[in-house]
Parts: sequence; structure tokens; C-alpha cells
Amino acid sequence: MEYIQFVLAPQMLNGLSFGVSVILMALGLTIIFGLLDVINMAHGEFYAIGAYTGFVLLGAGFSFWAVIALVPILMLPLGYAVQRFLVRRAFNSGDRHTLSLLLTLGLSMIVADLLRMGFGPNTVRPETPVKGGLELLGIFLPAYRATLIALGSAIIAAVYLLVYRTSLGAMIRAAAYDRNMAASLGVPVERVYSATFAFGVALAGLSGVLLSPVFSVFPTMGHDFLVLAFTVVIVGGLGSIKGAVLAGLLLTQIQAVSSLFISPVWSDPIVFGIMVLVLMLRPQGLFGKIGYA
Amino acid sequence: MLEAAAEKKGQELSGSVPGRGGAAERVYAQERRASRSLHGLALLFFCALAVFAAIARAAGDSFFLRLATEALIFGGLAISTDILLGFAGLLSLGQALYFGLGAYASALVMKDVQPSFWLALGASAGAGLLAGLLGGLIASRVRGVYFALITFGLAQVVAKVIYNTRELGASDGIIGIPIIQVPVGFATVEANSPAGFFLVVFVAAMLLYAVLSFLAGTPFGRLLAALRINQSRLPFLGWPAGPIKLAAFVIAAAIASVAGGLYPMLRGFVSPELMYFEMSTNAIIAVVIGGTGTLIGPLLGAMLLVFGKSVIGTFTEYHQIVIGALFMAAVLFFPRGLAGVVKAQFGSPKKGTG
Repeated sequence: MEYIQFVLAPQMLNGLSFGVSVILMALGLTIIFGLLDVINMAHGEFYAIGAYTGFVLLGAGFSFWAVIALVPILMLPLGYAVQRFLVRRAFNSGDRHTLSLLLTLGLSMIVADLLRMGFGPNTVRPETPVKGGLELLGIFLPAYRATLIALGSAIIAAVYLLVYRTSLGAMIRAAAYDRNMAASLGVPVERVYSATFAFGVALAGLSGVLLSPVFSVFPTMGHDFLVLAFTVVIVGGLGSIKGAVLAGLLLTQIQAVSSLFISPVWSDPIVFGIMVLVLMLRPQGLFGKIGYA
Repeated sequence: MLEAAAEKKGQELSGSVPGRGGAAERVYAQERRASRSLHGLALLFFCALAVFAAIARAAGDSFFLRLATEALIFGGLAISTDILLGFAGLLSLGQALYFGLGAYASALVMKDVQPSFWLALGASAGAGLLAGLLGGLIASRVRGVYFALITFGLAQVVAKVIYNTRELGASDGIIGIPIIQVPVGFATVEANSPAGFFLVVFVAAMLLYAVLSFLAGTPFGRLLAALRINQSRLPFLGWPAGPIKLAAFVIAAAIASVAGGLYPMLRGFVSPELMYFEMSTNAIIAVVIGGTGTLIGPLLGAMLLVFGKSVIGTFTEYHQIVIGALFMAAVLFFPRGLAGVVKAQFGSPKKGTG
């Protein structure tokens, strides 16, 4: 009982707060793939840009809550521009997957170096905005982690409602299911594409700013995180929102709990191993594509 | 002369049998022209490299000779990436895995078993074949993005495992690899002699080019092209897609692995970075800049990338910006790469005769 109270439960809650952030990141990836068929290799850099933007804004004297609201809004035009001027160029080619993957790969190299140029290679860490901790049923949880879980869950729910319960979401799903049919029914497909890409980028930026007090900020912060987000997206099913949420929770819990028994350095191979297994046995992931459900 | 005759024959054929025969004949003639222009480029490349090496040797340089050797070794990794991407149409995001495994196998043999060139390379080849077979059995089940992501995942897993294994030096890798003697028939070359070892790698690269050029023209090469162009139709022609994919994967893995086996002989150490994602992406960049779907393209691209990095690195530490921008420009505006430009310039039929 004491083991559960002092070791297992806090570890699982830590995993949960991490999982919520991973899901935010994975949602952007999976929506962009589900709609645009684009594997966005620069997603980790958008996550880093979000974190740095937040860091700069905090330094300029904004409150943390204002920053959380501002960063995604500032990320929108960036995402829009990247889709409009870069990703769209890959669209009319025969091999859309490969070409867009290579383009975003090049972009990620440039952005990573630009960040290193602008902010130096060292780690910076914003102060934790919500201090102290809270105790629930005898389980201690840092207050910021609790905030992260609550806020992240609310945003995930909002994204879900946006995609499945609004007319904008219906347009997105229609364009994902059959772009020609959607276009002939009056959906402005090109604009929906750009807007969705911008939305996914904003989610990555938001994830970056939310996690920056926990994991600190450095130019290549997105690399390892992107690998995990990809794993979540693959296990959940490329393009599936439900899948990303479930797989995100599952994988981060496996990571959290397994690191109690074996050295935490092995948790990454375990998670990747699961990804390879899922790809072999059920390549479409746990759930199908966006627009098909 | 011969070619003109063949073309004439093709025209005659198309005259007597309207439609398909003539078209096929024209396609073959065009392909012959294209591949001849690429072989010409390869000849130019190897000659230029030999001249460069001779000058460097005469000037008593060792830095650039070693850099060129490293570029050729890296070119092996690039070629193996291109066999999958350009020939079989499969984008591998984890080809450095096999390069790194080969390097580790070779390093372990040289350090712990016997400092023998052929034994080390044999171990690399064996490791590559085995790992390629295992990886291929997993990866050849899927295609498209899933293939890219599964190769990515595999490389990540193995790199992390090696990074965490203390017996393999963990994050430091293996250092202190003895300098070996390379037997080249009538004499031996010391691996730490810049010009000598360059020559060994240079000959190996030419051999690889020749063997793969031959292979590309065999029915197997044709099957790879068919796989790239339309995988779903392959079974209707009586060929299973899976085993062909697996064969391509194993060949590519073995090439990457043998190239990796040469690395510790040159640099004297191996580290987990050799199988990291960055290494795999660099190979893709070399392939795309040099020319996807050609054999000389990856070598050309590898040379440009390694020397480009070194040159840009003297001006700025942010060389990734320049290389990333060049890469994106290549993807957008020259998707066929440098070799592709040559192929289009000299390999396409002259206007009016086509």
C-alpha cells in the first residue's frame, strides 16, 4: 500500500502529465498526416520554436498564462506560411509522401541551426509558474504537473470537439476523406489544408511552451520528443485522433512504470520496440484514419 | 555507330509492326544513351578523384586524402540508401544502422580477435547480411511511409541499446583500435597511410560501382524498377513483391555494413553516432543532391557533402543551414540531382529524332 502511495502512483501521475504533452504534440502530427498525407519531420522544431517563443515572451514580462495563449496564436502564421510556400509544392508531385518528408527534413535542419544561432547551444529553463504541490488521497503531486494534466486534457477535449462536432471539423474530415468530392461540395480545400497545417503547428508550439518548465529549453529539444510523438502516432494509427490519445496514454504509462523496475535508459528501446511490433502486426495502428471514422 | 544501327532497326521495326515494338525499342535506345552518359560521368568522377589524390600525395597532404577516403566510405552508405530509394522506391530513414553495425563488428574483430583486414570486413559483411535479413523480414512487410517509419524505429532501438551497453563502450564507443595491415596481393598497405588506404577504398568503390552497374541491368534490376513503379502489379506478372524487397534490403544492408567496416580502419574508433538518425539523413541528402536512381549520384553527393561540410565549417559553425537549404532547393528544383541533370543533358534523344 505504501509502495503504491509513494512510488507507483506518483510515477504514474508524472507519466500522465508527460503523456498529455506528448498527446498534444502527436495530435498535430496525426492531423497533418490524416489530412495532408504529410509526415512532418520539422514538427520537433516547431515544438522548440514554441518553447523559445514562450521563453522570450516570459522574459519580456508577460505572465505565464498570457504566454500560453499567445504562443499558439503566434505559431499560426508560421505554420500557414510553411504549408503555403513549402509543403504545397510537394503536393502535385507523384511521390507526395517522400517529397514532403524530405522537404520538412531540410526545414528541420535549418530551423535547428537558426535556434542554435539565436539562442546558443546551452539549456535555458523558465521558472516554474505554479509553485508548491498538492496532496490527493495522500499522493503528492507538484502543482505545475497537476495544472499541466488539467490544461492539457481540456485542450485535447477541445481539439476532439473541434474536429468531430463543428462544421469546420466536418470540412476537415470531408477534405481528408475525398478532397475532390469535398471541393465540389464547396469546401475551400486549399484553405482548409493551410489552416489545418497551421493548427497542427500551433499545437506543437503549445506543447513546447507547456513542457518548457519541466524539461527546459535547448535547440535540439524536439528531436527525442518527436521520436516519441511519432511512436504514439504510429501505434494509435496515422491520422487517428482517438488513437493518438489512447496510444499516448498507454505508451507514457508503460515508460513510467517500466522505469521503476529496470533502468530508465531502457524505456526508450521498449517503447520503440512496441512501435516496431505494432507496425509488423497491425501497420494501420489501433484505429483508422481521420475522416474514416 | 552501333547505337545508330540499333536505332534504325528500331525505326524499321516500328514501321513494320506499328505501335509497341517500336516504342519499346526507342525506350531501350534512350536508356542505353542515359546509362552511357552516367558511366561517362562516373569515369570523370573517378579520374578526377585519382588526379586529386595524386596531387595531394605529391603535396604531402594527409587531411584532404583522409577526408576523401571518409567521403568514399560514406558514399557506400549513400549508395546503399539509393539502392532502396532510387532503385526499389523505398525510403529508408535508418540505413545508418547497418553502417554502424558493420563498423562495430569490424572494430570488435580488429581489437579483440585479430587485426586482420579480411577477417574484419568479413565480420562486417556477415553482420550486415544477418541484420539486413532480420530488419528486412520486419520492414519488407510494409511499404510507403510505414517502411520509412519502421526503418527509422529499428535504427533508433538498436542505437539506443548500443548506447546503453557498457560492454560496447556505451556512449563513448570503442577506441584504441589497432592499425592494421591491408594485404593487396603483392604488397601490404598500412591503414594509417593516407594515400595507401585511400587507394584501397578507391578501388573498393570502383568495384562496387561496377558490380552494381552490372546488377542493375540484370532481370533482378528490372524487378526492382518494377517494384518502384507499381508494387501492386508485380504479383500479376508472377513475381512476389515481398522476397524481391527483402533481397534489395539485404543487399543494401550488406553494402552499408561493409562500408561501415572500413570506417574504424580509417579513423581508429567507432561510436553510437555512426548509426544515429543524422547519419541516415546525411546519406539521404547525399543521394538526393547527387541524383536518385543512379549509382554515381550517391558517390558524387557524398563527396560534395563531406567536403562541403568541411569547407563551410571553416567559415561558420552553422553549416546545417547551408546544407539544409541546398537540400531543400535540390528537392524542389532538381529532384533528379546532379547526375539527373547530366542524364537529361546528354542522355535524352535529340530533338526531332525522338
